[in-house]
Amino acid sequence: MRIETAAYASRWQGVAPSAKALFALGGMGAAWVATRPGTLAGLAVVLALAALIGARVPLRTYVAVALPPLGFLLLSCLTMLMTPGVATPGVATPGVATPGVATPGVDGSWHWAASMWPAVARTAGRSLAMLAALLGFVLTTPLPDLLALLRRLRTPELLLDLMALCYRMLFVLRQAWEEGVTAQSARLGYRGWRHAWRSTGLLAGQMAVQVWQRASALQMAAEARGYQGQLRFLPAEFPQARRQNAWAVLAAALLLLAAAGDRV
Amino acid sequence: MNSLIEMQAVGHAFADGSSGLRDCSLALGRGRRHALLGANGAGKTTLLQHLNGLLRPTAGRLLLDGQPYDYSRGGLAQLRRRVGLVFQNPERQLFSAQVEEDVSFGPLNLGLDAATVRARVTAALDAVGLGGHARRAVHHLSFGQKKRVCIAGVLAMAPDVLLLDEPMAGLDAPMQDELTALLDRLAARGTTILLSTHDIDFAYGWADDLHLMAGGRVIASGPAQAVGADVDALDAAGQRPPLALALHAHLVTRGVLPAGQAPRSVDAVLDALRIQPFQPLTKTPT
Repeated sequence: MRIETAAYASRWQGVAPSAKALFALGGMGAAWVATRPGTLAGLAVVLALAALIGARVPLRTYVAVALPPLGFLLLSCLTMLMTPGVATPGVATPGVATPGVATPGVDGSWHWAASMWPAVARTAGRSLAMLAALLGFVLTTPLPDLLALLRRLRTPELLLDLMALCYRMLFVLRQAWEEGVTAQSARLGYRGWRHAWRSTGLLAGQMAVQVWQRASALQMAAEARGYQGQLRFLPAEFPQARRQNAWAVLAAALLLLAAAGDRV
Repeated sequence: MNSLIEMQAVGHAFADGSSGLRDCSLALGRGRRHALLGANGAGKTTLLQHLNGLLRPTAGRLLLDGQPYDYSRGGLAQLRRRVGLVFQNPERQLFSAQVEEDVSFGPLNLGLDAATVRARVTAALDAVGLGGHARRAVHHLSFGQKKRVCIAGVLAMAPDVLLLDEPMAGLDAPMQDELTALLDRLAARGTTILLSTHDIDFAYGWADDLHLMAGGRVIASGPAQAVGADVDALDAAGQRPPLALALHAHLVTRGVLPAGQAPRSVDAVLDALRIQPFQPLTKTPT
């Protein structure tokens, strides 16, 4: 919900999704090409600032959305840095660090693999830059625009129809769920754990019926407007798309150039 | 009367065996404003869904321009181009996440080119007063705005007949006034309108023709003034007489207003009262 709200409030909402996608792809490509942790961190900062300052995505939202993947990344890095004490005969001598390989222990305990630092720094930096590029795109692009872009890229219609319907139903059912919880709360449905579990169960059962009813109603509403087996929508127009795409390509090229400097 | 749509002795039984319509007949005059009144469960929605071809009669038949409804794929597409239906609950009609996209759904299904569809979408959104909301998310709109998007979605198909299932339900007074003004504009352009409602006062004041339903049948049909004065039919349809009529009759009985054709709304009764000479109340001696 945060992502969706930020996308509609973003200053870049009116920017062609193709331009935003090109910029994000440029950022991802640069993250793939760059090798030094410093360059990767710089890339991540530039991409994050583009979203925060350029698109005016609120910092609070940005951090809130970034936290789960950051937590996953932290866990992954810690996993690489800590290694269980399982001896692997013939790979390394216990207690002796081998570059690029975790130092195994023989006592069955966990050990700090200092030799993994460069790899971890590179992986973390690359992941951060990739994440920043992706967040910059999703936090500024409403899903209908993304679907329109995917349609232009010849994504299978069935998949897009499913995405469009699921997206819409998400909000319809969320509203239905909230109304149900409010109605149950008004009749003391959540007074204590036992009541809360019972109310939630009843509501979940009711929602299953509602899903079925709403699906039938949507089918009927679509047929009333001439539905013939394919959901067809008019994509939004972006009159400045050509110019915006050119700017995005330029920005992406600069990011790639900066990243390529690492390999020289 | 020059009927655009006719229902002739239509019956409909649902899959569970219950009866939706029974021997139901109705004629909709071209370019007129029609209101359908009836208690809950009288069959109003079922009737509207028959007119749009969503439901097929199990008995009787429907005619459009004197020709029986064609339920083939092409026939239904043609029918729904001419007869648009706006559902009561917007959450059950809107399935695209963006206003402009949802409104474009119907015209695109008509096979129109993108430029025409875009022009129609813009015109339809302007007509319902949502011109600046084309790129907004549907779930960010208020209930009244969603309802207007639903109407725009059907208007964009440029139907000859517009069917609205309880369009005033859930709207506040200013929004009801806006919707009434929109319907008046559409009627002035020659669109035939049929709306179902529980509001007898609105129906009596707005519609050219009233149709009363009870037990799956249209039990009275005709000009609003005649049907509005038919107390027995109104009672059978679970409706009270229009307030304007009752008030006018009372004031005539008391000699406050002259006898004559009753005004169509309470406001019109008040206007009639205002032009009467002022007679101060005399004090009764104690």
